[in-house]
Amino acid sequence: MKEKVFLGIDVGSVSTNIVLMNEEQALIEKMYLRTMGNPIKVLKDALHTLRDYHGDEIEIIGVGTTGSGRDLANFIVGADIVKNEITSHAIASSTYVPDVKTIIEIGGQDSKIILLRNQIVCDFAMNTVCAAGTGSFLDRQAARLGVPIESFGDIALKSKTPVRIAGRCAVFAESDMIHKQQLGYSQEDIINGLCEALVRNYLNNVGKGKDIQAPVVFQGGVAANKGIKRAFEKALKCEVYVPIHYNVMGALGAALLAQKELKKTKKTKFYGLNTADVDFQVKGFECSHCPNACEVVGIYKDGQLAARWGDKCGRWSNIDLDSPVA
Amino acid sequence: MSKIGLPRGLLYYEFAPLWTTFFEALGAEVVVSPKTNKKILDDGTRYCVDDACIPVKVFHGHVLNLKNKVDTLFIPRIMGIHQKEYICPKFCGLPEMIKYSINDLPKMINTKIDYTKKDQSKRTMNQIASYITTNKKTIQKAYQMANQSYTEYKKNQKELLISNNHNIMIMGHPYIIYDDFLNMSIKKKLKKAGLYPVTYDIFDESILNKYALGYHGKIFWLFFRKMIGACLYLIDHKLVDGVIYLSSFGCGIDSVVAETVERNIRRNSQIPFMLITIDEHSGEAGFNTRLEAFIDMLKWRNKDENYLSPYGDYVYSR
Repeated sequence: MKEKVFLGIDVGSVSTNIVLMNEEQALIEKMYLRTMGNPIKVLKDALHTLRDYHGDEIEIIGVGTTGSGRDLANFIVGADIVKNEITSHAIASSTYVPDVKTIIEIGGQDSKIILLRNQIVCDFAMNTVCAAGTGSFLDRQAARLGVPIESFGDIALKSKTPVRIAGRCAVFAESDMIHKQQLGYSQEDIINGLCEALVRNYLNNVGKGKDIQAPVVFQGGVAANKGIKRAFEKALKCEVYVPIHYNVMGALGAALLAQKELKKTKKTKFYGLNTADVDFQVKGFECSHCPNACEVVGIYKDGQLAARWGDKCGRWSNIDLDSPVA
Repeated sequence: MSKIGLPRGLLYYEFAPLWTTFFEALGAEVVVSPKTNKKILDDGTRYCVDDACIPVKVFHGHVLNLKNKVDTLFIPRIMGIHQKEYICPKFCGLPEMIKYSINDLPKMINTKIDYTKKDQSKRTMNQIASYITTNKKTIQKAYQMANQSYTEYKKNQKELLISNNHNIMIMGHPYIIYDDFLNMSIKKKLKKAGLYPVTYDIFDESILNKYALGYHGKIFWLFFRKMIGACLYLIDHKLVDGVIYLSSFGCGIDSVVAETVERNIRRNSQIPFMLITIDEHSGEAGFNTRLEAFIDMLKWRNKDENYLSPYGDYVYSR
């Protein structure tokens, strides 16, 4: 008999994460893929892989999508629940670490803080205007230093002497880094300084005025970086816990939400793994109907227009209306 | 008959009925720019100095929209409307900002409105009216009518009765909370989620003033009295489930006001609070994510009161 599983999909700015979770809430499969600016292709490829490896053993009985591309993912796979990433992350954390009080989540473009009390979210915040405290910033600096991002944390841990690097802004941090490197500081000290700068910026920006209480859970792609984890521990003066599946917590949350949703709806809206063979095309146009000039996006499923969004007034939601461009 | 253009931006959202009625009673035709749309925003950002806040940029867009439709623009130099309460310096220099950013403008009524030392409304109104008529009687009558329509408008706002539960207070400057383009139709989105958006304008001014007295600091900015009054009133009466403060990126006044409101609410109440900073971006994804998460949070809390865990299983058996 095929095992019944829930599919959780988190389409983020930098990575697309996919998990399969069984009815006992145990993880069976996780995939951490780079979105590479093409979420549709990545999703289709992932469905391919799932079918090839697990197609015979599993039956997907519920799907949840989250992340900034959650609506797109919903359209492609047919989700039972579409949830924002803050709620998904909170659900996942509080399931696997029941007494969690603070969740630090740092992803590619977003960083968030979620405060829970008695297993209820009581406050949250996201980065406002700047990506200085996020994964993209680290990626960028790693590339500049010629260090693979995976070994960034280990190098930082080797540092003995702290080097202070300006953390407010990615541009300032970069010029500060170059300056320090020209003065002859060692690379591990600079990298460690960068980790501390990122943490300082996170606590001053996202965590400003927040009552951070232990236990603290650190998740999101950046949690792989041990240097950042240590910098957080140093700044918060408490242990920071990184869950095993730290990089797919959003997707896991979506799967948990799907499980809960299915208790109500009983039947999934999932289109099936064969969606991997469907051809999806995206065509956009600028509506000229009013001065808002909305950028409308139409999705074509096997050549047929299937959905349209991006318009403020909703006139293009009616797919019987012909697009001004073919 | 002269055509007076009122750009639909900044304090228009507070004083629309006052200004419109006044000019119409003086015998002018009033033309108001349309609701903010993308073209207005784009034009505004193109012409305005780049470090201004988004409401000021949008105001430039509204001026551009009216430029060739009217023969006079009403862009008063607003310094303050109540005694010892000041306004952002950008309002004081608004006529100049517009004049040096946009060419070929029609005539401009840029009368100074400054009641910070004493109420000069009579004199100010005569000055404004002098662009259209010098007839003392007409001016006097127009002033009365304008005041009356403003009072009525304010009274009507109060009649939007506060419902029994699920109220969300939206705070911020009126040119953000009433401009549905800038605030990304937040009210519509809240209503869709089964919540009732309200603003501080539904409270009686006397209540707000009374509660504002309880604030220990000096009330320096226009609208600060209303916001801090509303904030202290909410803490006292727990009328809302949550407060969302909308601020524009780079707003100097909000750096004080939003902060004070947030601190008061967080320290003295359990009311969930969220600050959203808006700017030029038209992508609504980030905005919607925060809003949805905030709504989820409120719903979980309400469930908790019924002894339910975050996602539906019973935590305590009773």
